[in-house]
Amino acid sequence: MKVTRILLTLLMCCLLLVGCNPRYERKVIDDINIATGMGIDKSGDQLKGSIMIPVFKADKSMENFLFTAKGTIMRDVAAQMQQKASQPIFSGSMDVALFEEVVAREGIVQVLDVFLRDPSVGARVHLAVVDGKAQEIFEGNYGDRGNAQYLKDLIEHNMEGGNLPLTNLHSFLFNFYQQGKDPYLPYLKQESPELVNITGIAIFKDEKVIDILHENKMFYFKLLVDKFSMGQVKVKEEHGEATVKSITSDTNMKLTKRKPYEITVQIKLKGLLTEHEGTRLEKNEVKDIEKELEKQINKTCLKLLEDFQKQKVDPIGVGHFVKTKTRNFNFEKWQTDYQDVTFKVSTNVRILEVGVVE
Amino acid sequence: MQQSIPESLKISPFMAAFVVVSMQIGIGVLGFQRIISKDAGYDAWMSVIGAGLAVHIIVWMMYKICEGVDGDVMAANIFVFGKTIGNSINTLFIIYFTMTCLTLLSGLIEVIRTWMFLSMHPIFFASVYLLLGIYIVNGGFRTVVGISLFGIVVPAYLLFSFLAPIRYGDFTNLLPIFDHTPVQMLKGAYNMTLTYLGYGVLLFIYPFIKKPKESKKWVHIGLTATMIFYTLLAVITFAYFPISLLQKSIWATLEMWKIVKLPFIERFEYLGLANWALIILPNVAISLWVASRVAKRVYHISQRKAVLFIAAVVLICVLMLDSRERINIFHDLQAKAGFILAFIYTPFLYILLLIKKKVNAK
Repeated sequence: MKVTRILLTLLMCCLLLVGCNPRYERKVIDDINIATGMGIDKSGDQLKGSIMIPVFKADKSMENFLFTAKGTIMRDVAAQMQQKASQPIFSGSMDVALFEEVVAREGIVQVLDVFLRDPSVGARVHLAVVDGKAQEIFEGNYGDRGNAQYLKDLIEHNMEGGNLPLTNLHSFLFNFYQQGKDPYLPYLKQESPELVNITGIAIFKDEKVIDILHENKMFYFKLLVDKFSMGQVKVKEEHGEATVKSITSDTNMKLTKRKPYEITVQIKLKGLLTEHEGTRLEKNEVKDIEKELEKQINKTCLKLLEDFQKQKVDPIGVGHFVKTKTRNFNFEKWQTDYQDVTFKVSTNVRILEVGVVE
Repeated sequence: MQQSIPESLKISPFMAAFVVVSMQIGIGVLGFQRIISKDAGYDAWMSVIGAGLAVHIIVWMMYKICEGVDGDVMAANIFVFGKTIGNSINTLFIIYFTMTCLTLLSGLIEVIRTWMFLSMHPIFFASVYLLLGIYIVNGGFRTVVGISLFGIVVPAYLLFSFLAPIRYGDFTNLLPIFDHTPVQMLKGAYNMTLTYLGYGVLLFIYPFIKKPKESKKWVHIGLTATMIFYTLLAVITFAYFPISLLQKSIWATLEMWKIVKLPFIERFEYLGLANWALIILPNVAISLWVASRVAKRVYHISQRKAVLFIAAVVLICVLMLDSRERINIFHDLQAKAGFILAFIYTPFLYILLLIKKKVNAK
């Protein structure tokens, strides 16, 4: 009995120690290259991929190193990069993936297939379209936390409190695969070697970029696509300019008529006055600003909706919305019906606070 | 005749629910959403509820069968069909539960190989895992039940991880409801019954429950909890994925973990997956126990020897199931067998038992 017990213990130990065999993909963090950013550019008729890895130095500072390679499909590019790297590159901690506008206009879904198939890439990767070369953005030097962290923070804080709608790999794929909805991504531009700016939103038709929304329309776009949104907007009124910060907003679509479809978009916005030009805030001025802002939102949102209609894109998800209201919805028929939809926008703005001065 | 089980080896009625629920939640949870929405689309959450209610009826029948003979299903088989045919049917149970063990283990190994360790050889993982299973079964039935409790309570925190995808979900995906024909929804319900499987174990543990009447309440509460969990999980998944993306996701539950963000771990799937090994453990232990117990009752061999033999068979078969395709074929086979056992065999046996009792009474 004792002998069998000892034998069993030994056997168990052997089997457990198998886990320590380096053959089983033990990945020590010091012995791998952690890819934090990926960029795709066009070079001739090939793709040029670049992968950014952080290099941590002994004096606690860090630098970025860039691997680049050319190829026709993504995995091929990645394999070539591995040939150049002294330590294997892993993508489990990817923060940003950037696409040159030219590439994005030709379609990025074949690139995203790599992400979808590979379980090691997270769903929170931020995708963005770049004005200029993605490689150039990675070659810049943005602060001491590393480029990837900078780009990630830039996008994230603008989604939290700025005018950028919520986007990441998951929401891109969600909008892409959702019938009756088209995806959109932030549009970045390198202003100087130390700064990157969000200059708009790239609107996709299926997998291709067809339009870039200018940054002064981003607030209105975010109102339409996001459920709760923070953001800043400028209002012009008779006493001068004022800015309103939205705290919460609620957008509801209502199908008011069928054949032809008529859709009313109701926007409720609660905000606070953050800046006001003029010496005093007159008695009814807050009311005036509310009215003015309502008018402004109505006009711009309607313009946006009609522009999308003209371009036959649907980032707001009007098609999906009508589908949720219709049994046996026919998406092919919708393609033509969408052109005949009339939109109405009605906004209700309430300014709750005016700050700490009168 | 049924030998009576000593009181000290029995479990409290409350624990029966844990055995049933831990047997229900296995490898299917990781990817059932894709399968049920294949036919019923995003109305499939109603199929989940429908199938859950059907399970209650089957479990009610199982209790009636066991009460009728005051023993387990093997006694019922012998009572209804006589010794020879009854024991042949009982032998099929050994095969069925060996297959169950194999399905769970191969499913777990496949997930681990796809998500974590590509080059892991199944033999190492399977042998350690089966050794653990044998060890638990050798500890007796009460140990098996203890592990079932563990396998539910310890990983229960994973429930919170399913709150993270809600922020990215669009619940209007589920609208309009009743967009599919009743036939499509029934197909969805049929596919869902496969994920619910596992309550059949009740037929075998019945003699081990103290005051079996009291356990009914707990088992039905347990089944309802599973149903609510599956329904909520389905609804969250449907909100998180548009339907054409869901149809591409083999393990939708795992994919949802990709969005979870925690400050101390970059990728939550690895944590969840490691925990899944703990959820599968009671399943493997219970199915080994049932298979070896049936072997003991039918062939009068010692349970310890039987469990060793069954584990060896499972180990060899795991090595043969080495590709997605083969595993798929095998899982389909196992699912069909489970469906027949629950929804055809159980009512059939119940009706025969009623008739036989009537005849005997006359």
